[in-house]
Amino acid sequence: MAIIDPYGERFGRVLLAVAVLGVLAGVATAGAYAADPSTATPDPVAYDDAVELGLSSETDELMAGSARIPRVQVFYSQLQYVVGYNGVESFVATLDDGRTERQFGYPLVVYVETFDGGAPGVTDDGLFEAERATEWIPADEAAYVVGSAAHSPAGETVVPFAERSTAAAFAADHGGRVLEWGAVRDRSFAVDSAATVRSMAPARWAEADERIADAMAPGDDGGAGGTGGEDDRGIVVGEDAPTIDAAVAAAPPNATVVVPPGTYEETVTVNESVTIAGDEARVRGDGNGSVITVRAPDVTLSGLSIDGVGNRTRDPEAAREAAEEDGTWDTNIQLGYGHGDAGIRAIDAPGLVVDDVAIETNASGVLLRDGSDAVIRNLRVDGSDDWRDGFMGVTGMESRVTVTDSRFEGGRDGVYLHRADGSVIRNSTFVGNRYGTHLMYTGDALIADNAFRNAEFGGITVMTRPSGNAIVGNDVRDSGAGIQASGTRSYVGYNTLANNGLGFSTSSRGSLYERNVAVGNEVGAHATTVVPSSRVVANDFVGNDRHAEAGPGALRVWADGDRGNYWEGATVGLHEPGERAYRPTAPVDAVLHRETAAAAVRESPAAALLDRLYGTVPGARSGSIVDPAPAPKPYAPGRVAAASDPDSPPIHPDWRRELGGGSRTEESGADTTTPTTTIMNTHERNATDGTVSQAAIAGAGSRADAEGRR
Amino acid sequence: MTDLGATGGSAETRRRVGAVATVFRRELATVLRTPGYGVLAVGLLALLGGTLAVGGGGDTGFVPAVVDLLLVTEVVVPLVAFVVGYRALLVDAESGELAVIRTYPVSVAGYVVGVVLARALAFLAIVVGPYALIGGVVWATAAPDTGIFATHSGVDSPLLYLRFLGLLVPFGAAYLAVATAVSAVASSRRGAVAIAVLALVAGVLGGDLAVLRSLASGADASAIPGLLASTPNGAFRGLVFETVVGVAFAPEGGFVAVRRAAVSLVAWTVGGVGVSTAALAYGARIDVLLEGVRARVAE
Repeated sequence: MAIIDPYGERFGRVLLAVAVLGVLAGVATAGAYAADPSTATPDPVAYDDAVELGLSSETDELMAGSARIPRVQVFYSQLQYVVGYNGVESFVATLDDGRTERQFGYPLVVYVETFDGGAPGVTDDGLFEAERATEWIPADEAAYVVGSAAHSPAGETVVPFAERSTAAAFAADHGGRVLEWGAVRDRSFAVDSAATVRSMAPARWAEADERIADAMAPGDDGGAGGTGGEDDRGIVVGEDAPTIDAAVAAAPPNATVVVPPGTYEETVTVNESVTIAGDEARVRGDGNGSVITVRAPDVTLSGLSIDGVGNRTRDPEAAREAAEEDGTWDTNIQLGYGHGDAGIRAIDAPGLVVDDVAIETNASGVLLRDGSDAVIRNLRVDGSDDWRDGFMGVTGMESRVTVTDSRFEGGRDGVYLHRADGSVIRNSTFVGNRYGTHLMYTGDALIADNAFRNAEFGGITVMTRPSGNAIVGNDVRDSGAGIQASGTRSYVGYNTLANNGLGFSTSSRGSLYERNVAVGNEVGAHATTVVPSSRVVANDFVGNDRHAEAGPGALRVWADGDRGNYWEGATVGLHEPGERAYRPTAPVDAVLHRETAAAAVRESPAAALLDRLYGTVPGARSGSIVDPAPAPKPYAPGRVAAASDPDSPPIHPDWRRELGGGSRTEESGADTTTPTTTIMNTHERNATDGTVSQAAIAGAGSRADAEGRR
Repeated sequence: MTDLGATGGSAETRRRVGAVATVFRRELATVLRTPGYGVLAVGLLALLGGTLAVGGGGDTGFVPAVVDLLLVTEVVVPLVAFVVGYRALLVDAESGELAVIRTYPVSVAGYVVGVVLARALAFLAIVVGPYALIGGVVWATAAPDTGIFATHSGVDSPLLYLRFLGLLVPFGAAYLAVATAVSAVASSRRGAVAIAVLALVAGVLGGDLAVLRSLASGADASAIPGLLASTPNGAFRGLVFETVVGVAFAPEGGFVAVRRAAVSLVAWTVGGVGVSTAALAYGARIDVLLEGVRARVAE
């Protein structure tokens, strides 16, 4: 008290000091009002340090050659992370989608990389290429070539230049017009999105149908023909030749080698386009190397059981040799994984058909390499009991694989695909693998209507950053994780995930997660990407220990406009369902579905004061998820009920009808008020955001009604 | 009654300032002898810290911190202002000291200004101190969740928090002035508590309720910025939206009529002081009147 004794001698000085402090504070405050924080312009960062959105840079065509996608880096007003966009057009597309600004704030400053001195050009495939980018400059100082011959893997691309003259030169060589930033940002570009992937999923299914139909068509490739004068039965092993290998060696092109019932202890090499048609025939290898090796196009293998496979899962020797001589970016893995033993090994064998084959193996079941585009139907692979002892059911390297109606038990991964764009895996069952289906550098694939049980690590995993994968209608239970798909522009929909450690993670960027059902998992969904860029909407979360949790990063808003997800417990309490935002990561909201009293805590004035403005600056917050419009009831009650029943058969909703059908279809099963999913115009940007139609407002006020007309 | 005959001149001004300073000094001594205010400041600090800890906004920056604190502030700051001010003018009147003071050459206005200044200083220490401390903590600890990516601060800046602190002062001052007026009007401590609680609730809830009511009864939506600006809470909230939180949004603004809100906060302050002065100056006469009425009615 000595210092501030009002009657002490030094009081005058103290008062003066306080007054000076007060004046200083006043000046500082006035300064705070005078300064404008929104004019901050941070310098560009190394692109690798930015959080990357937009197109994937890890697609085959980009990693293998000199093709590039012009990149952008953006500093948003609320977001603490620098966002990198692959593709100027990817960034432009966010400018009026309404979501990006809502989540990140507005762009404080935008930089683009320019190619003035980088020898820009167009590859033979029509992709933009350049030796290097020259410098980062503010977007509004660059000149852009639009509508040139240069494209990105996802469509149109815009090429930025620092100098208008170099831009004009590029346009002169490759077409297109030179535009200023203002004109570029007002354009809409024909670029694929996750909605494109969604709309294409039924088409991929149909394409797989065609591949299978083509493969199985009799008399086409493999069918018995009149060639060589053989009768319709073809070459019969045991009658026309002593062994299968000898019969195959003797067979003319397109002949059929018939293998009668019995056990054949041999290994077979197929160098000719033939059909090997077994009839309860067992081929038993000698425990070394692969049992059947195919090195010719259009080979069909059917009606066989295979065992006696060697147990070498990969070949470090081959990996080392080839890495020395050619050393492409993933040589090591390709050779390591691509050179093990297998029941059926196919090298450069396009048109392979594997039908009705059973394989017992402690290495790979079917190994496809070097463009061995294969159709696999009714394959059954029994792998090792412990995944560490075995390998993949199907290993596909640089081969487009179509798997249907197959079953993979045990072993490491049921299906492992590496640079196998356009593959389809469907209608299959995976039990007790490490991963059921595992994709690396594989985009534009369809994984649909499969059932996964007891996968140690996870049912479906997609690693690296491929783009355009569709994971639809799968049923994963009792596994480490349901679906963990990284990448970009993925579509993860209509999956049923029950009793797993984790239902699904939102690791893929710019993606769409909808109509999944997560029941009874330890964690329903996990938000992983640091910068949220995906839509998570119309999913059902029921009976999970925790419905969702979030890793580091900005606040995730899981809804699409006024349409959210269904969270069991979110409607507990006295509110009209859907009226209050739900935060699955908040301690109180997280237990609403297990403890009703939490509703009373949630309604406390303290909670209300804190909650009320919670989502106002989502980009600046961290580590949590908010659903501003939780749904009043499940979107797919039928599936929720079935998923809660441990004995229910695998659930595969009729997503093809909903995604590919008319504009007002309804989910299979019980829920008649379930909103519809309208097929989207893939290039219509509004199709992916939450614009509410006028009709919705005129409706009867029912939420479902409003959604139905969207 | 007061120095109506003052002709100006520097000697006269100095005398008046001296009188105010004396009252100010005396009032400050009173405040300093009240340990409860220290406890109040510590409690406020704990409350703010707890709010941020639960809300989590302070982990990443100033703007989310302000978002978490805003609604709590709307309740807490008026409350503290009333605690500091509800007896400011009452005690002297009750104890008869005011009558003694009035025998010295101190005008009622000078007396009120002196008291209010001292109380305002106390209020600043109790409220702005903890808020500033919290701001310091946010400054020291706020960081992005993860450092594996390049980060920047966006528009988030200590300047925005400083703006928020700056807005606390007129907001608190308005309530402090109203509280002082309550203390001048009230005739007993209990009466002061009752009126203060009433004024507090009316201020925190009533203003916004009135806005809602007027909208419900057909006021035009375009009137909202003006109506909002007229209550201390509305003006404060609008100004925070406009100048602190809203900076993170695309530059649109228009959450409140800014000038009107600022003027309104000052007007509440000046008005409160004015009412206090008037009540002290003419209160006795009114009391006599009222007493007369009461006596007549009672008979």
